[in-house]
Amino acid sequence: MDKGIFSLLAENLQHFVQYTGFANVTFGHIIMICIGLAFIYLAIKKEWEPMLLVPIGFGIIVGNIPFFPGLQIGVYEQGSVLNILYQGVIQGWYPPLIFLGIGAMTDFSALISNPKLLLIGAAAQLGIFGAYAIALLMGFSPSDAAAIGIIGGADGPTAIFLSSRLAPSLVGAIAVSAYSYMALVPVIQPPVMKLFTTSKERLIRMKAPRAVSQLEKILFPIIGFLLTCFIVPSGLPLLGMLFFGNLLKESGVTRRLAETARGPLIDVITILIGLTVGASTQADKFLQLTSVYIFILGAASFVIATAGGVLFVKFFNLFLKEGNKINPLIGNAGVSAVPDSARVSNLVGLEYDKTNYLLMHAMGPNVAGVIGSAVAAGILLGFLS
Amino acid sequence: MKKLFKIFLLLGFLVAGPGLNAQSQNDMRLNEFLVINTDDFEDDFGHKGGWIELFNSSYGTVNIGGCYLTNDPANLTKYVIPKADVLTKISPRQHILFWADNQPFRGTFHINFSLEDSKEIIFVASDGKTIIDRVAIPVEKLDTNVSYGRLLDGEGDLIGHEGWQIMERTSPSTNNAGVDEVPPAVIIKQIDPFGVIMAITAMSVVFLALILLYVVFKQIGKYNIKKSRERSEVATALTGKPKVANVSAEIYAAIATALHAYNQDSEAHDIENTILTINKVTRNYSPWSSKIYTLRETPQK
Repeated sequence: MDKGIFSLLAENLQHFVQYTGFANVTFGHIIMICIGLAFIYLAIKKEWEPMLLVPIGFGIIVGNIPFFPGLQIGVYEQGSVLNILYQGVIQGWYPPLIFLGIGAMTDFSALISNPKLLLIGAAAQLGIFGAYAIALLMGFSPSDAAAIGIIGGADGPTAIFLSSRLAPSLVGAIAVSAYSYMALVPVIQPPVMKLFTTSKERLIRMKAPRAVSQLEKILFPIIGFLLTCFIVPSGLPLLGMLFFGNLLKESGVTRRLAETARGPLIDVITILIGLTVGASTQADKFLQLTSVYIFILGAASFVIATAGGVLFVKFFNLFLKEGNKINPLIGNAGVSAVPDSARVSNLVGLEYDKTNYLLMHAMGPNVAGVIGSAVAAGILLGFLS
Repeated sequence: MKKLFKIFLLLGFLVAGPGLNAQSQNDMRLNEFLVINTDDFEDDFGHKGGWIELFNSSYGTVNIGGCYLTNDPANLTKYVIPKADVLTKISPRQHILFWADNQPFRGTFHINFSLEDSKEIIFVASDGKTIIDRVAIPVEKLDTNVSYGRLLDGEGDLIGHEGWQIMERTSPSTNNAGVDEVPPAVIIKQIDPFGVIMAITAMSVVFLALILLYVVFKQIGKYNIKKSRERSEVATALTGKPKVANVSAEIYAAIATALHAYNQDSEAHDIENTILTINKVTRNYSPWSSKIYTLRETPQK
């Protein structure tokens, strides 16, 4: 009788042990948990994009807790809570909502006052297509190459949106890569900026932006939306929400809606997108050679995009009169990564002239980069889906 | 004036409404038909009859309820497709099959004429007048169980036979080519293996979009500056004070900073009464000390 009870107890315990993480852990899980912890460390200690790296880092840990398959708890197990939340990434619901918030918090005044800065935002999209071409050469399919190339847009939501449509199996790696490099903008961009500029060019002083009227601020999202979406309708989800959010901000009569969009709404979506994207990096899906290639291509796309923006300003300056010239140090800001890349422009500018503040000028190409990367994503989606 | 505007708006909707509807119906195409069916597909009643396939060539859903099918140019409203049937809403790039068995009582998709004695098939818009698509039946060329259709779904002439052919096999309610479309990514991989064409095209489009924005806002900016100057000049003329339109934003920023600093300083160095006193409270009553608020009421029976 006693023996029977002990035997049953031992059997139950053995059964229980099979369900624990200890019994199912692999070396891959350990590596991924370490990566997640590193993300959290960088976010808290170094303050690198903490709003993104904390949810993603913790999401990586959540996604790599080893478990016995079939319990409906994993992010890839249909019907699990994480899987339902992950649908927002896969189906592309979250990125447009984030764009709504971005629109509601973005001030386009710098761009409106000096609209030629829009062109820098276009030039910096070179990174996307440079990385696309390299990815094709490395043997990726056009859809995968486009999804990887969009990392060069330095815009997390856009990268997630496009990769969820063109290469759903790569969403995790692409999102982690995009957000990691966005956090590393202060490290990646300055050497490239210095490499392609002369000391004389770095000292160029730009005219102070003029005051922009309320009417211009209201017209910008409406005209911007109509023009860009008539040219690239496939960019509608991102551009529509971006400009709608901006109209809520600038109209002056929808303060509550704008505050919700740029406050609680974007916070909720950021939490969900960060956590689920992090959780999608399950070791068996993430630890592959493809992920390494994606990280290499991501870095390349950032470098090309930065160089594209800086070199375009130098080229553009050839046609501008003395006094109207643009400091090429703001070229890097065309890659989006709002507002970090604009901050980098300012810091590098101050290294050479302590009284030359480039921040406001760099905000122009910076927000133009958001529009440019959304347009580029729309084009890729239109061609390849 | 506002009333007039509303009337125009209403009229606009009334005129444009049916127009838009007809425009979407215009995307429907006669796609394939079978005249004599003895050994081909059969309907839900187990009957083998001739059939007509329509194809929605657009990328939007089209409701063909209220449209007409006929084999008689003199009677364009011979068979009206019922309006109340949800199945008449054809999804983008999808097909719908009508049985030409002269048995209309069998349902929406059984029409009131057969193709054996017909010379042509005509698809008519819901206005009963506009012919959207028509095709002559090449009776002498068609054998039993052999259909006639467009080589590619929805492609080819509306009236002539360009793009039509005798089909190798019948394909009711499915695409005539009989193969899946090649995904765009595969085509792009073939024509642009290094991504150069894609890069040039896409960068051109990005530039085009942002150049257009630049041009528009450059003009809006110029207009705005001009208007601002005009207003400033008017103000100068009225008040006699100098115009301020050309004052740079840096000067405004400096003034704002100075005012802000002044306010902060004013707060920091506010003249304060340094004498500490305990004054008698002038108002004796306070709800915090009231017994009415601190005691519970006596329960009432």
